[in-house]
Amino acid sequence: MPTTALRSRRINRRERAWGLAFVTPIALQVILFSLVPVGIAVFASFTDWNSIRDTRDFVGLDNFAEFLGDKYFWIAAGNTLYMLIPIPFYLLFGILFALGSHRRTPGSTLFRVLFLLPYVSSIVALVVLWKWIFNYQYGLVNQALAAVGIQGPDWLGDPAWIKPTIVIMIIWKMIGITSIYMLAALKNIPDVYYEAARLDGASPVRMFFQITLPLLTPSIFFLTVVGMIGSLQTFVEVQLFTSDGGREYSAATITYYIWQKAFGSGQLGLASAAAFFFALVVLVLTLVQFRLSRRWVYEGE
Amino acid sequence: MTKRSIAAAVAAVAAAALVMSGCSAPADSGKQTITFMGWGSDEEIATFKTMIGQYEDKYPDVTVDYVTVPAGDFATKLQTMIASKKTPDVFYLQPEKVMPYADAGIISDLSSFVDDNELFDPANVWAKAIDMYRYDGTTPGKGAVYGLPKDISAFGLAYNKDMFDAAGITAPTDDKPWTWDEYAAAAKKLTSGEGADKVYGSGPYSLEAAVWSNGGDWLNADHTKVTVTDPAFVDALQWVADLNLVDGVAPSPEELSSQGDYDRFVSGKLAMTGVGTWAQGGLWNDAKFTWDIMPWPVSPKTGKEAIWYGGIGFAVAKSSKHQEAASNLAAFLAFNEDAQRTNIEKGQAIPNLIDMAKDEWLNTGKPPANKQEFIRILEDYGRRATQTYTFNSDWFTLFNSNLASVQSGQQTAAEYTASVQQEMQDLLDKGIAEQQKK
Repeated sequence: MPTTALRSRRINRRERAWGLAFVTPIALQVILFSLVPVGIAVFASFTDWNSIRDTRDFVGLDNFAEFLGDKYFWIAAGNTLYMLIPIPFYLLFGILFALGSHRRTPGSTLFRVLFLLPYVSSIVALVVLWKWIFNYQYGLVNQALAAVGIQGPDWLGDPAWIKPTIVIMIIWKMIGITSIYMLAALKNIPDVYYEAARLDGASPVRMFFQITLPLLTPSIFFLTVVGMIGSLQTFVEVQLFTSDGGREYSAATITYYIWQKAFGSGQLGLASAAAFFFALVVLVLTLVQFRLSRRWVYEGE
Repeated sequence: MTKRSIAAAVAAVAAAALVMSGCSAPADSGKQTITFMGWGSDEEIATFKTMIGQYEDKYPDVTVDYVTVPAGDFATKLQTMIASKKTPDVFYLQPEKVMPYADAGIISDLSSFVDDNELFDPANVWAKAIDMYRYDGTTPGKGAVYGLPKDISAFGLAYNKDMFDAAGITAPTDDKPWTWDEYAAAAKKLTSGEGADKVYGSGPYSLEAAVWSNGGDWLNADHTKVTVTDPAFVDALQWVADLNLVDGVAPSPEELSSQGDYDRFVSGKLAMTGVGTWAQGGLWNDAKFTWDIMPWPVSPKTGKEAIWYGGIGFAVAKSSKHQEAASNLAAFLAFNEDAQRTNIEKGQAIPNLIDMAKDEWLNTGKPPANKQEFIRILEDYGRRATQTYTFNSDWFTLFNSNLASVQSGQQTAAEYTASVQQEMQDLLDKGIAEQQKK
């Protein structure tokens, strides 16, 4: 039937034109604001681009050699790994909070709002708040400890305590959003599973481990991946809690290191190289996670 | 919908993208527009707006686009603008940036303008205020002028006179400053109480004042060798730390992180601490007691006073197409009498104009009574901070990064300086190499 074929081809062409029209803005956005900058950054990694001296000469792998040989880069790398610690904690608490507010009990909506509050608040405001909570002499934490006769540490100044302080804050901040995701996942679990389990005489604990938890694994996986990337990029907390990365660079993360190189000393080439390298590491870690996920994430029958 | 309208839609999107990515060239007319970027408190910004208005009245052909950014973001923003070749015509310049910016050809040489201009008499400006922006290509403080002073500030030692009177202590006079021992003894008398209500005699003592007075310094005379392990330096650092550790007359680093020395001072929990000239206005509002400035105590070894002075300048971008207008704006803001008078009214800084500082400022009747001490710092014993003499201050940042371990007693001054000396030297060498690379 030639006419229909012709018509469908015409429709196809018209649809394609429309499709292009709709795709153009986002394509331009991706090209202009993602691909081009990424390309420039990769290229810059191999130059001695300096924003003050305005040099842009090709230096090969010098930048990579420089930061890989910089002891502060490795301190920052260690600190960055440390920032992964919050993830299991907020996942655990997130699930517990979600289970707690899952059933329609009086006040559950209020609690859900309260859980989310830290997440929707400005990080700057949160840091100011936590700086007060952890203030050495006048902070809530140390005053509470003093009430039971313990002299609390200098949370924000002592190199041994600044990282745990940031970890505690991140856990607190992330529990809310985690529990909201978990709540959504819980709501998606059909009641029939539980009914069937109850008929078979399964205990609530058994139901949790045999039904609830496996069906939550896709959400847990998603939050782990997103959380890991977010943790590895920890920056604002460091910049706001410390003005210089902390005593002995004890709080500085890789992102902070890159920022310092780029905007503190204008070494854009070096900073690009470190950022490029770091992006590859994050990519590899994420791929590994996807790979491992096959072993524990439930993907349906 | 027809094909044509689709094509039009695509064209519109493409045009929008072009508009986003590029910018149209301004129409060329006799009128010049210059950009001026700085930071400041709301009051300071309001004052600058007024002064810029006066400047525009005087030079009707010029329009000033005044951009303010938060102080903390200024360096990042400026660096980004320089990198993207959109350097503001006039901008705030820290003395330590003179060398890198001059070498990179970012800031204009204003020497000829200083020597010959209609707006000010160089002889009536503090030499130290202008010298901070001199650089001859190798040594800072000499040669061509790359900035005009916005203000000049000095760091004085403030004391709570009411507390002194109550303890029966008389502050020393200019001709007979205290020795360190006398200072520590006075601080001991002024220290009382326990815990959160403890009143300390001394604030965190200025390390510059101690080290320099003791004959030490961070670097040698030509700023090429790190000298923090010299006994003169080590002893001074240890003395400062011991005010807290041994004498117990100064707050610990932990206590200072809970509440800073300025807040302690204004709430009457600290009797003596260093304050800059910029803090005068704040103290007028905050301090509910009589306070004044005394000369810096001296090391018994040398008997010489020492402290730092500093300031912020105005630089003109070398890339500016309106050098004359930009230089005039910098000079107008730096030396205009009304502009400088606001430094007096707001208690922000010492006026740049010598005659005004020595007459109007000394006689305002507002505290501190002994403003003469600040003038002495400028004319006599004040020094530029050591890190402003080097190409970059990474070595200094490193030195400070774990200084708290000495102040809290985890390491002695000798141990700490020995542990950081080599790394400081490496960073200093790196800076010197970078300066010579040009």
